[in-house]
Amino acid sequence: MTDQIREQMSALLDGELPQGEVGLLVRRMARDAELKRAFGNYVLAGESLRAPGAVVASQGFAARVSAAIDAGELPGMVATPVPAPAPVRWRRPLAATAVAASAALAAVLLVRPDSGDDQLFAERSGAPATPPVVTLPVGGSSPTPAQNQRLAGYLVTHGQYATPIGRRNVWSSALATDPSIAPRATYETVEVP
Amino acid sequence: MMTMANFPPPDGSTKPHEHRDDAARPASGVEQSDLELVRRVQRGERGAFDLLVLRYQHKVVKLVARLLRDPTEAEDVAQESFVKAYRALGSFRGDSAFYTWLYRIAVNTARNTMASRQRRPLDYEADLSESEQSVVESRMRHGDTPEAAVLSDEIHSTVNSAIEALPEDLRTAIILREVEGLSYEEIAEAMECPVGTVRSRIFRAREAIDRSLKPLLD
Amino acid sequence: MRRGFAAATLALVALATSQAHAGSPTAGEWLQRMTESLASLNYDGLFTHTAGRQSETMRIVHRVEDGRSLERLVSLDGSGREIVRTPGEIHFYMPDRRVVLVEPRSDEGSLLKALPAPGPRLEELYSLEVSKGNRLLGRDVRVLDVRPRDAYRYGYRLWLDEKTAMPLRSEVLNVEGKAVEAIHFTKLETFERIDPRELEPAVDASGYQWVRASKRAEQRVVVSGWRPSKIPPGFRLVATRTQIVPGLPVPVQHLIFSDGFASVSVFIEPGMAKGPAPPESTSVGSANAFSTQVRGYVVTAVGEVPAATVRDIATSLAPVDEAVAPVAPAPDPKNR
Repeated sequence: MTDQIREQMSALLDGELPQGEVGLLVRRMARDAELKRAFGNYVLAGESLRAPGAVVASQGFAARVSAAIDAGELPGMVATPVPAPAPVRWRRPLAATAVAASAALAAVLLVRPDSGDDQLFAERSGAPATPPVVTLPVGGSSPTPAQNQRLAGYLVTHGQYATPIGRRNVWSSALATDPSIAPRATYETVEVP
Repeated sequence: MMTMANFPPPDGSTKPHEHRDDAARPASGVEQSDLELVRRVQRGERGAFDLLVLRYQHKVVKLVARLLRDPTEAEDVAQESFVKAYRALGSFRGDSAFYTWLYRIAVNTARNTMASRQRRPLDYEADLSESEQSVVESRMRHGDTPEAAVLSDEIHSTVNSAIEALPEDLRTAIILREVEGLSYEEIAEAMECPVGTVRSRIFRAREAIDRSLKPLLD
Repeated sequence: MRRGFAAATLALVALATSQAHAGSPTAGEWLQRMTESLASLNYDGLFTHTAGRQSETMRIVHRVEDGRSLERLVSLDGSGREIVRTPGEIHFYMPDRRVVLVEPRSDEGSLLKALPAPGPRLEELYSLEVSKGNRLLGRDVRVLDVRPRDAYRYGYRLWLDEKTAMPLRSEVLNVEGKAVEAIHFTKLETFERIDPRELEPAVDASGYQWVRASKRAEQRVVVSGWRPSKIPPGFRLVATRTQIVPGLPVPVQHLIFSDGFASVSVFIEPGMAKGPAPPESTSVGSANAFSTQVRGYVVTAVGEVPAATVRDIATSLAPVDEAVAPVAPAPDPKNR
């Protein structure tokens, strides 16, 4: 009986097993480490025949891949804790003209970039403050999948409001980078005049 | 009004070819079998992916070891490639062979690993992946091999001895299948026997090799 | 950018004509042409996207229909993810998670006019320079350098096809002039027409979880009571809106700031009952995100600006009557 299953495995390896028999065999192999081991040696025999002496995967490689998939991680990823951020010394904030700001708020919610509608942000030129030194920490931790999805949604939404090239950049990055494995932002010390 | 020209599917444009698995042949039984396994994975059968890993583990490790020029990291990078492939499997549509698609992912993963190590900007040449690939292909064709691990040598000599010890009909069958890449039908024609006999002979040859390998690898 | 193909052709003819005359287009005009071409031409291309040390091949297909952009971005040798912009919605397919995010399109109507566009005041914030470049993909190229005058924003280097103003290469540069993200096309063709089928996703998402943001909320316009007190000079609020995020009882507020070139979104959502979450920063190519808690709300700032900028914007968020005015631009522009 076992011989019959193993012969099916041999045929599957060659792509010669009738499609109807594949399902049952796959399920059997999933439950049986010995069958998988034998299948692995069938594969190895072929590789060795074709390229004697070539590098091969070590024993247990396939099991490690399976474990890695289950763990949901890619090799080499290590979660590091977030150190408390150092205080940021920005320029001294200038006095607010908050009254004007809130009046403008009630009326217009869409502000054209160059409308000159400066009521929302009063600007006051003045003596330059000391250049801020921004020192921020390196490292971070992996967000949860729910947070990733939230971030993915924000990237998509934000992209709609960017320039065409900004949108293309943001969306390409969203495709490429899984936030859970993206390097955390590395901060540098920045002297800003 | 000009309609859009046939835009070549990028992941089908360059196919890796293993020795003797000629890409010009029509979709082989193995490719069909891979597609069937992929469909099962897409429907949720994890076990089917394990089979794909078993089938291509050595090819991918070998490929990555060549690209990295350092075999010690090859298994980690190969593992990463398989995990990426698993995660991306939802987007695989069968426009190319599964191995072609997996190959691309492995090359990309190896390239990114090399780039992280070297700490200099990536080469932005437009056809980088194509030129890399042709280097790898030519090496495969000429039988260029990196330094073999002691274990690989032992594996080879064990397999070799086992093959030599086989009765001639079993030996012929497995060599025609694995080295010449012939289908069961073609082997049946060559050996003038029924397809069922071919299937049985190949199986028995593999069993004999497995019996020799088992004590070595356990 | 509601332009039909005919209008785009006219724009290109104008460009070609202006080149034929003694005065070549200025850098600002090149930037304008590039923005228009990206929005109004039909094109299909393959590019390499590089961020950090990772690099991936992607395809972009862009089609204009009834004055609206439809597009599809797909990762070819990595995650297999895709973003497809249909007439009504945006779909983000994530085969690795078996999830599709669906967002309604927001670029209709009056919002469109307020979106960031390079304008005359841009040169207060960025220096623009154009020069001749080496040929790329067999075409003549102009190199456009967009350099910010402070370190709160990124710079860009853009290699534009002289005929179409399409960027054949683009790099986002940090304050040291290093590329944090690069997009290099290996194939880029423009077409009179693109088959709509080229915009269909390759992913079979039938078994996936479809996560939809509601469209209903788009109609409601709500006064947002929040403003960041620390925001780089030149950034202005261009729009506010709310959206319903599945699973949250209260709508999320969304503020959009732009300096005409870069933009930053600030999302404000009610905090989780479980307690404060640690501040988080993430880099996604040239987009940086920072998330923190402010008075029980979770504030996330996302934009194509350096990490420190989104961090300061998010952490300085306060109710509008408490927000202080941002600083004036520095009197000594930083020259690079």
